[in-house]
Amino acid sequence: MTRYGMLINTRECIGCYACRTACQRQNGLEADIDFIRYEEIETGTFPVVGLECVPIQCMHCEDAPCAKVCPTGATYVTDDGIVRVHEERCIGCKYCMAACPYQVRVHNPRTGVVDKCRFCTVEASEDNPMCSCVEACVTGCRIFGDLDDPESDVSRAIVELNAQPIMGDLTKAKIFYVR
Amino acid sequence: MTFEPIWNSLIAWYLFLAGLGAGAYITSSFLAWRHPDATAMRKTGHLIAPIAVAIGLVLLMFDAEAGLHNPLRFFYLLTNVGSVMMWGVVFLSVFMVVSVVTVVLDFMKRPVPNWLAIVGVVLALCVGAYTGALLGVCQTFPLWNNALLPVLFVVSAISSGAACVLFAAVFRHADEFNRVGVLKKFHFCLPIIELLLVASLCFITAQTNPAGAASVAAMISGDWAIAFWLGLVVVGLLLPTALEIRLLFFSSKEFEESRPAHYISAFSDLGVMVGGFLLRLIVVMAAVPLTVAMPLL
Amino acid sequence: MSEHAITRRGFLARSAIGAAAVAGAGYVGFEAWKQAHADEPGELKKAGHSLCNSCSSKCGFTAYTRDGRLATMIGDADHPYCDGTLCARGYGYASIAYSEDRLTDPLKKQGDGTFAAIDWDTAYAEIAEKVQKIIDEDGPQALVMIQDPRPSGSFYTARFMQALGSANTYTHGVACNMSKVSGMTQAIGAGDFTSDVENAKMVMFIGRSYADGIRPASLHAMQKGYQKGAKFVMVDPRYNNSMHFCTEWVPIRPGTDLALILAMAHVLITEGTYDAEYIAANTVGFEDWAARVESCTPEWAEEITGVPAETIERLAHEMWEAAPQSSIEQGWRAATGCAHQNSGETARALCLFNTLLGCWGLEGGAYTPPSQSAGKLTDPKFAAPAKPEAKIIGAAEYPLSASSMGVSTYALSQIPEGAVKGVFFYQSNCVAGYSNPVQLAEFVEAAELSVAIDVQMTETCQACQYVLPDTCYLERTEVPEFVGGKVPVVSLRDQVIEKVHPNTRPVDQIFTELAEACGVGQYFQFTVEELGDAQLQTLGLSLEQLREQGTITFPEKALKYAPKTTWGTADKKVHFTSEACEKAGFPASPGWLEPQVMPGDGQFRLIGGKQTIHTHTQTANIPNLMEITKKYGLERIWMNAQVAEEMGIQDGDEVEVSSETYTGTTRVHVTNRIEPTSIYLPSHYGCSVPEQRTAYQVGLRQMDFVPFHIEPGYGGTMSQETLVTVKKVGA
Repeated sequence: MTRYGMLINTRECIGCYACRTACQRQNGLEADIDFIRYEEIETGTFPVVGLECVPIQCMHCEDAPCAKVCPTGATYVTDDGIVRVHEERCIGCKYCMAACPYQVRVHNPRTGVVDKCRFCTVEASEDNPMCSCVEACVTGCRIFGDLDDPESDVSRAIVELNAQPIMGDLTKAKIFYVR
Repeated sequence: MTFEPIWNSLIAWYLFLAGLGAGAYITSSFLAWRHPDATAMRKTGHLIAPIAVAIGLVLLMFDAEAGLHNPLRFFYLLTNVGSVMMWGVVFLSVFMVVSVVTVVLDFMKRPVPNWLAIVGVVLALCVGAYTGALLGVCQTFPLWNNALLPVLFVVSAISSGAACVLFAAVFRHADEFNRVGVLKKFHFCLPIIELLLVASLCFITAQTNPAGAASVAAMISGDWAIAFWLGLVVVGLLLPTALEIRLLFFSSKEFEESRPAHYISAFSDLGVMVGGFLLRLIVVMAAVPLTVAMPLL
Repeated sequence: MSEHAITRRGFLARSAIGAAAVAGAGYVGFEAWKQAHADEPGELKKAGHSLCNSCSSKCGFTAYTRDGRLATMIGDADHPYCDGTLCARGYGYASIAYSEDRLTDPLKKQGDGTFAAIDWDTAYAEIAEKVQKIIDEDGPQALVMIQDPRPSGSFYTARFMQALGSANTYTHGVACNMSKVSGMTQAIGAGDFTSDVENAKMVMFIGRSYADGIRPASLHAMQKGYQKGAKFVMVDPRYNNSMHFCTEWVPIRPGTDLALILAMAHVLITEGTYDAEYIAANTVGFEDWAARVESCTPEWAEEITGVPAETIERLAHEMWEAAPQSSIEQGWRAATGCAHQNSGETARALCLFNTLLGCWGLEGGAYTPPSQSAGKLTDPKFAAPAKPEAKIIGAAEYPLSASSMGVSTYALSQIPEGAVKGVFFYQSNCVAGYSNPVQLAEFVEAAELSVAIDVQMTETCQACQYVLPDTCYLERTEVPEFVGGKVPVVSLRDQVIEKVHPNTRPVDQIFTELAEACGVGQYFQFTVEELGDAQLQTLGLSLEQLREQGTITFPEKALKYAPKTTWGTADKKVHFTSEACEKAGFPASPGWLEPQVMPGDGQFRLIGGKQTIHTHTQTANIPNLMEITKKYGLERIWMNAQVAEEMGIQDGDEVEVSSETYTGTTRVHVTNRIEPTSIYLPSHYGCSVPEQRTAYQVGLRQMDFVPFHIEPGYGGTMSQETLVTVKKVGA
C-alpha cells in the first residue's frame, strides 16, 4: 500500500511564507485562501530568546475527523491516504471546519466550498514541474513521500529525526514534525 | 492566530428552531396524555413543530452557501452514514414527515394514533439531542465536546417548545391555558434543571484545558457576558422561574386565571424562548478551539 | 482574547449582512461562479525564462502558463542568486501582471491635481518640448534620472540621459547600500565582497539577515555552513529570522556597530593576533589604524554598544581562532548601508577588520565574486552617445559617494535651488522610500518637468506631472543581465505572458520613442532583442541560446580560491588610510564616529528592515502578500517586552509613535526579540496612494518619521537617525 505523508523540520523553517505564496500560485488560489497557517513561538526573555515557526496545514489524518463528519461525502480519503475534497459535492455546511482539530479547513467566501491542502505535491515530477510547498521551500525543510515504504526519504527522515505528529496520535496525522 | 467563529447566528437560529419545534411536538403529546381536553393547544403545538423546523432548515441552507448556490448538492446529504449531520438530516426529515402527517390528521379532525405520537416524540427527542451532538463531536472545542451539551439542549428544546405552545395559548386559547396545570408545573421545572446544567457545563468546561477556560471566560466575563448573564441567566432562566413560582405557588386561583396573570405567564414564556435562543448563540459563538488557546499543543 | 473578541463581533455583524445579501443574490453569484469553473483548465505550457522583479536580486526562473496566464514558477538552478528556489515575494509579486490597480494609460496631472489619460504621442511631445526648453535654458545637467536598476532600465535610462548630455543618472543607492559601496571602495577599491558563508568556520553578520531580505542562494549557503558546524554570530538589535541558522545573538544598540568593530580590532592588534604578513605585503596605513584603535577598548565599546566587554573580547578571539576561515559579512542596507551618520565609516572599518584576519580570497574567508561582461559592440548602430563631461550632481558635495549610484536626494534638493529643472523616475518610488516623503514630494512638485514610469500609481507618480504605464516584467524581454558569483552567469528576462493592458509599453520602447521625440533617436536605432543578441554574440552566444537556457554559466571564469593580492585601489593595495576620506573631513583611518542622534530617556531609535514577504514599498499592494501582513499583524511596531511592561503597554495595544517630523498610530508587537532602545517599524507600509487599494493606509511609513538629511561625505539617507517617543493611545 501507498500511504503518503510529509515531514516538516521546524528547526529549518525560517517562517518566510514562501510555501504559502507558492501554494497559492500552484493551486490558483485567491489571495485570502491559505492552506498553510503559521504558529510562531517565541520563548525566553531578552536577551536569551528562542524562536520556532510551525507551519500547519491539513495533516491528511488516517482518522480524519473532517471526513467523518462530512454529511455529503465531499471530504473523503483516497486509497493512498490523501484527504481530498469533491468540490462539486460540498454544500458548505462548515462541519468539517468545526471538527478539524488543527483548524486548517479553509472556507472560500466566494464559492462557499470548504477547501484545504490537497497534498498536490504528489503530482510533481520532471514532466510536471510544480511550486508546491515541498518543491518551493527555500530551506528544503519539507520531505514528502510514502510512509509505507521504509526506504523512502520521508520514512527514513522520520526515524532519523524522531519526527512526531503535532498532536500525538489524536487523529493518526500524516504530517510529522521535527521540533 | 486570530480565530473567527466557524458558525454564526444563522446556525444558532437553526439549532434553536429545530429544538423548539421538537419541544412543541413533545408538549402536544404530553397534553394529549395529561390534558386530553386541551385539543386546541395540542393542535397548536402540532402546527408549531413543522413550521419551526422548516424555518430552521431554510436558515441552515442559507448558511451552507455552496449548497445554496447549487441546491442539487443537498441530495448528497445522505451519503455518509458516519456523519452526525447525516443522522440529523434523517431525524429532521422523518420528524418533518411525522409532524406534517400529525397536522394533517388534526386538520381532518381525525385522532392521532398513539403509535404515531410515540414515534413523533422519539424523533423529537432525537432532533433535540442531535442539535447538541452536532456540536459535541467536534473534539477541538471543549465547550461542545462533552456529554452535558446534548442533555442541556434537549431540556432547553422541550422548555422552549412548551413555552411557545403556552405563549400561543395565552392569546388564542385562554380557557384551555387555565386547565393545563400539570404541563405548567413541568414547564416550571425545566429552567431550573437548565440552570443546573448550564452551571455544570461552565464549571466542568473551565477545568478541562485552556481552550475550555477561554470559552467559559468568553461566556461569563468576556464578550458574551451581557448576553449570558442578563439574557440567558436572568431573562431566560431566573425570571421565568421567579414569575412561575409567584403564579403557581403564591397566587389565588382567581388571580392565576385572570388576564394579568396570563400576560405575566406569556412574558415568562417569552423569556424562556429568548433564553433558549441565546443559549445556542452563546454556545456556538463563544467556543474557542484548542488550537487557538494552546498553539504549541 | 481581546483580539478574538473583535473578530467575533465583526463576524456577527457581517454574517447578518451577508445572509441578507445571499438571500437576494445567491443565484446570481452562483452563475458567475459556475462560469468561472466552466472551462477545464488548459495544458501547462513552458513559457520561457524570466527574472523575478520582486526585489533587486532578480532571480532567474522558468515560467509556465495555463491558457496564457502565468501558472507555475520554478527557480532556475543555475542562477547564482536563486540557486533553484524562489522566495515568498517572487511567487506573490508575479500577480502584479493581473493587478486591478495597474496603470493602463499615460496620465497627465490636471490643474486640480487629478490625473487624466492622454495618448502616448501627446505625452511624448509635451515631455520632449519641456526637455528641450530646459536644455536650452539651463543645459542638460538640469535634468535628472532616478531609477531602481533593472536590466533594461539601467541600460536605457543611462543611455537616454547620456544622449541628452546629462551625467545625472541615479539609482536607489542612497536608500540602500551606497554607504557600504562607498566606504568599502575607500578601503579595498571594490564596493562588494562575499563572505564564503558555506565554507566558513565563523562569520559575523552585522545588521544583515539572509532569512529576511532573502536572496535564496545566500540563505542556502548559510544553512549549509550552519549544518557543517560554523559559528554564525548575529549582531543586530533584533533577533531576526536568520537566528534559525545562527549560533549567537549579539543584541546591539543600532548605530554603534562601528564601536564594536573598532574594539574587536583593538583586541586583535594589541594582542598581536592578526595576519601581519598579509598586511605587510598588501596594505598601506596599518600603523595609523593601529594607533587609532588603541583607545577603543572593549570596555569603552561596552558603554556605547551595550555589548558586554567580555563578549566583545571573546568574539574577537573566536574570529581570530577561526581565521582565515572567518570574516565579518559585508552587510547591506542597515548598519553599513544607509542607516546612520557612520554607515560609510562602518563599512570601511569592516573591510579593515577582515584584512586583519587575512581572509581575503581564501576558502571560508571572503572573496570578490568574479563576473563576466559583454564585449564591445562593433555595429555602429549601437554606438554610445559621448560621455558627458560634467560630473553627476552631488559628487562634489558628497565626495565619497559612489558615482555609479549618486546622491539622488541631494539632486532633488537642488530643484528649489533652480539647479535641477526636470526629473525622470523609472521604477523608483523615491518619494516614499528614499528620505522624508513630504520633503521629497515638495522637491519633485517644484520641478518644471517631472515624469514617472511605473506599473502602478505610487507616491512618486503622484508627485509627478506625467505618469507613463510600463509593462510589467513578465510582459517584456529585457537586456541580458550579467551576474557575478562563484560561477558568473548571464541571464535573461524574457517575455512569458502577453501584455495584459494593450496601452502599456515596455521600458525599451518608451525610452526609444522618448529619445526620438527629444531629437536623440539616432542612439536608439535597434530593438532590445537586437541589442541583447549583439551583446551575447561578443561572447560567442546568441539570444536564442539564452532564451532556451535562461541562464548561461561561464565556468572558465569560476572563482578560484587564492590569497587576494591585487585590489581595485589605485596602488592595488588595501587602504587602512584614505586621503579622500581625510579630505572629506574624516580621519585618515576609521575611528569612532557618533551616530547623529542617540536616544535619551523615554526615547527610542526607530529602526527599519525587511520582512520576508515584502520589498520596501513595492510589494505592499500585492493582495497575496498583504493578506499575510494582515493575518499575522506584521505591520505592527516591535517593542522590547520589559520596556513595554514598564510603560504599561500590552501586545496588540494601539500606540502613538512620534518623531520630530511625524506622528502616527499603529498596533504594537511586544517581544523579547528586540533590544530595549529600539523600536522596529517594518519598512513596507503606510502607503498613502488611494489607487493602491490593497496597501492604502495599512500601517505606518518608516520614512515619514525620518527628517530629510544626508550622511556627510558618503551621501546615504541616514534612515535610522531618528528618535521617536511611544505612548499608548488613550493613556
